[in-house]
Amino acid sequence: MNKAEEATPGEAGPALVAVDAPTRIDPDLDFIRAIGDQAGDSFKLCFQCGTCSATCELSPETDPFPRKEMAWAAWGRKDRLLSDVDVWLCHQCNDCSTHCPRGGRPGDVLAAVRMECVEHYAFPRFLGRWVARPVYLPLLLAIPAVLLAAALLARDGIAEALGFTPNVGERIIFSYSRTFPHWLVNGFFFFFSFLASIAVVVGVVRFWRALKAGDRQRGSPPPVKSVPASILSAVRAAFTHERFAKCTTARTRYVSHLAVFFGFLALSVVALWVITCRINPLIPDGFVYPFDFWSPWKILANLGGLAILFGGAVMLSDRVRSGRPGGGSRYADWSLLALLLLVVLTGLLTETLHYLRLEPHRHATYFSHLAFVFALLMYLPYSKFAHMVYRITAMVYAEHIGRDLPRPPGGEPARPPAGDPEATEEESS
Amino acid sequence: MEDDKIGVFVCTGYGIADALDVDALCKVVTEECGVGFCKTVESCEGPGLAGILEFVESEELGKVVVAGISARRFEGHVFPAGVVVEHVALREHVVWCQPPGEEDTQMLAEDYLRMALAKIRKVSAPEPFHPEEEIDKSVLVVGGGITGLTAALEVAKTGYDVHLVEKADRLGGWLAKQHRSVPTKPPYRDLEDTGVDALVAEVEGHSRIQVHTSSVTGSISGAPGLFDVTLASATNGEPGDSFRVGAIVQATGWRPKDPRETLPYGQVEDVVRSIDLEEMVKNRGTITRPSDGKEVKSIAFLQNGGAPAQADHSYCSSICSLTALKQALYLREGDTEAKAYIFYEFMKTPGHYEDFYRRVQEDPGVFLTRGDVTDVTRDDDGGLVVTARHTMQGEDIQVKVDLVVLATGMEPNAADGEAIRALADAKRKAETGDTEEQRQAAAENVEALRQHEGTAILNLDYRQGPDLPALANGFPDSHFICFPYETRRTGIYAAGAVRQPMDGVGSREDATGAALKAIQCVEMTARGEAVHPRAGDESYPEFFLQRCTQCKRCTEECPFGVLNEDEKGTPLLQATRCRRCGVCMGACPERIVSFKDYSVDIVASMIKAVEVPDEDEEKPRILALLCENDAYPALDLVGQHRLRMNPFVRFIPVRCLGSVNSVWITEAISAGYDGVVLIGCKYGDDYQCHFIKGSELAVARGENIREKLQQMAMENERVEIHELQISDYEQLPKIFDDFAEVIETYGMNPFKGM
Repeated sequence: MNKAEEATPGEAGPALVAVDAPTRIDPDLDFIRAIGDQAGDSFKLCFQCGTCSATCELSPETDPFPRKEMAWAAWGRKDRLLSDVDVWLCHQCNDCSTHCPRGGRPGDVLAAVRMECVEHYAFPRFLGRWVARPVYLPLLLAIPAVLLAAALLARDGIAEALGFTPNVGERIIFSYSRTFPHWLVNGFFFFFSFLASIAVVVGVVRFWRALKAGDRQRGSPPPVKSVPASILSAVRAAFTHERFAKCTTARTRYVSHLAVFFGFLALSVVALWVITCRINPLIPDGFVYPFDFWSPWKILANLGGLAILFGGAVMLSDRVRSGRPGGGSRYADWSLLALLLLVVLTGLLTETLHYLRLEPHRHATYFSHLAFVFALLMYLPYSKFAHMVYRITAMVYAEHIGRDLPRPPGGEPARPPAGDPEATEEESS
Repeated sequence: MEDDKIGVFVCTGYGIADALDVDALCKVVTEECGVGFCKTVESCEGPGLAGILEFVESEELGKVVVAGISARRFEGHVFPAGVVVEHVALREHVVWCQPPGEEDTQMLAEDYLRMALAKIRKVSAPEPFHPEEEIDKSVLVVGGGITGLTAALEVAKTGYDVHLVEKADRLGGWLAKQHRSVPTKPPYRDLEDTGVDALVAEVEGHSRIQVHTSSVTGSISGAPGLFDVTLASATNGEPGDSFRVGAIVQATGWRPKDPRETLPYGQVEDVVRSIDLEEMVKNRGTITRPSDGKEVKSIAFLQNGGAPAQADHSYCSSICSLTALKQALYLREGDTEAKAYIFYEFMKTPGHYEDFYRRVQEDPGVFLTRGDVTDVTRDDDGGLVVTARHTMQGEDIQVKVDLVVLATGMEPNAADGEAIRALADAKRKAETGDTEEQRQAAAENVEALRQHEGTAILNLDYRQGPDLPALANGFPDSHFICFPYETRRTGIYAAGAVRQPMDGVGSREDATGAALKAIQCVEMTARGEAVHPRAGDESYPEFFLQRCTQCKRCTEECPFGVLNEDEKGTPLLQATRCRRCGVCMGACPERIVSFKDYSVDIVASMIKAVEVPDEDEEKPRILALLCENDAYPALDLVGQHRLRMNPFVRFIPVRCLGSVNSVWITEAISAGYDGVVLIGCKYGDDYQCHFIKGSELAVARGENIREKLQQMAMENERVEIHELQISDYEQLPKIFDDFAEVIETYGMNPFKGM
């Protein structure tokens, strides 16, 4: 564990464990101040007692987190922390924060480091910076709203130019498709999804490379599992929330996160289904939109929305009740939660107004709903929402290198009994 | 009041009458011992005690034996002055730890009465010692730092005159060289003004304090109440003022350890000591690099004196930790982008200083880690690279800094009086030794002690050396856990960093304690009483010098350097130095030392007063001499806890195991006792002996005792010495049960009935 524990002096023969060159440290004061702003100054009080790691249900036996991360954070070792996979294996149960004898709140520190990661790996970087700072919030919200408004104002001209005809056929019977034509909404959706996807891919690649480079530099043992197999395991873990389920202090967070996770999944599935109606080979000819209230798709969408509403409400009440002033909940937490709730609330409101045939109230709500949805989508790679991709990436990486496997001090991780180690190594290289 | 009219009071309460035949006890007093006055009383507390006092008055009793409760539970002070009181703890030592109604229990109680009567017949009321000259009540304070200043002020404010002697040309000491102090009051976050200027002004302006700067103590002779001090110039040694004081506070503080031996101090430029940095900030306000004058942006504070850990001082204190934390703030307060690294072996921030530690930890630019610094090297661009291993970062690390600051080890500014004396002795022997071998050995000794040459500070005119005796690390020996400020020279009290490393807060507290001790000393000395630990004792040793053989045992063994010598080696008693332990009495082969209420003869009479049964009665007798500081009170606890004690043991308290004269042991064996047990305090480095080395002396004298036993054809095993602390009272019965078994294997003492 401690590389300094080299062979005792006077021992004959070559040292069994190579003594690494000392690591040069130049603390990053801005990083320390940033962590302090988000997690409180007392994280620097850490005296390495290890209570955090001992109480953590998720931490592996070897080099457990968050103890070492606390030491690195106190010394402003930004580079080390940004290439630390363990930061993302933490689910912020806050068992550690509850038990820390110095009031150091390791759970909050790791959350702050994660947001630093998101900002650091952001592409383009300025967007990472904007999303991280409350001062840019009006601007960020204005961008999708203004773009959408402009497009709506110019929709007939654009439609004419593109050769679209107003689609008031026998199937689509409501006037809003005149106000918000499908081609326009879908176009926006595809456009923002495309941008977000590029940012996510670049961010993930940067992150993965940093993890690899860090491990290589430290001479860590070779991977134990192929990347595809690791992805399968990680996705399974994400779906079952099996790590989250181990939290004790933040037990309610497991439930609320599960509800939001599956609610979001349901809504995404329905949205994709609808958007791709024209090109989706699975959709039969009889596609009618909007769905009937009792249509299975509509039921799924409504259940999804309600799940997010329920989960979001629990999260909100948890944060309001347990939120330590200035800590526990930060801007990143509040902004994502608020946006998510706004998306769902405006969506449900639009639906209600629609059934009540209330126009133009319905159009106004729908406009704000779309603006929020696009904001959510567009800023996914830079907001706390990015934890979805980074955490899954980290979980894949952890599976890949066998992070959870017991490892003798200084040695390689024990190989899993099944599988061909030779093959997996080749695949991964 | 008739001086020798004895009255005995036997209590019937406390279950005594139920367990013992009180009438038979009274018969021992009246018929066997021939004491006319013996009364039974129900109790010896409250109304019972009042009844006793009425009898003392009406019967004009001069000596009183109260057989009831332990002396430690007894309100002895209510008796009129001059009345000698002796206690028999029938309750604690007999009834509570013996089965009631047994023959052996009764024999034990009767023996204790016989012993008490034997003792009280020979005891006379002590008369306090008053020297011919008047006791001087002024106090000398040596050292004008924070401790000395505070002590002087405390003494003066209490209404006593003070002479304050300072070697430097101005008062203030180390504190005056500090830029700021660590916080001393809530919320313990902000550095404070040292406050030394105000203190110096107050001392200099006080009418009772006479300040002597640029001065040292050229010589100090005499004893508490009668110390004659002659000052000398600190620069040229010429004699200065002379005056008399009653007591002395040594507040000579500390000196920095030279860090050269451990880290590259003096080899690599820009490696400085914490005192150098302090001076730099105090005098110039900025921190710059000595090598090129560049403004310092980063500092590494090295606390542990380099690897291996503990290579520096074994007595690591909190001062280095606090100083590094404080100086890290000096750097940070001037520059929000500056970085301070602290590498420590121990971070010691006791008490409220924890809050200060937290405050510094919270600072974004202060980085702390435990670790062994292995290397400090010069970088290409002029910086210093510090390498450390075993750090809390989980790996070996390096940091680059502009300046390296080494914690300054604090060494006591004290001299080892006994070593200086030993050096002088060795020098003399190297020249005047009888054989070449002796001279050679003495010369080697001189070399070994050479480091003490010319180190004297107080320059006491004491036979045992010119300064206080020192402990292992050069701090004055003072039994520091129980009795801070006390030293092994009566009337001289060590305070502040000379006693143990401490900061300004600790020094002020220490100074106040020592000031009170000094005042207590002059007052008690003026009344003719002993000071700690036999505070208030009015007895003092008297030497029957006509029989002295100048063997010098007493002058060498006295733990407090009470006795000087004349040219022939005859002891010269300086009675006000005496702590009344009786070590001289135990040492003297001629038995010429005695107190009015404690002497070789008195204890021997007690030993002989015990009725020793014949050999065929199978009732052995064991004599136990118990130190009255720990072991004898432990005996009370045995009773209080109703533990069962061997009924054949007869206990006698002694002032210190060092006061045990070996003749008592031979007397006991001759009188038919089957064995003797001595129980004293723990000795060694962490000694608990109130008189420093009494129990150690008793062990050292064991050889003498073995010789005597041999002459009497008795087994060595019949004498045992044990160490016991009061909390180990439950071991006491076992010591005697085991000893009784040992005695059984050797059989009864053949001297019985002879």
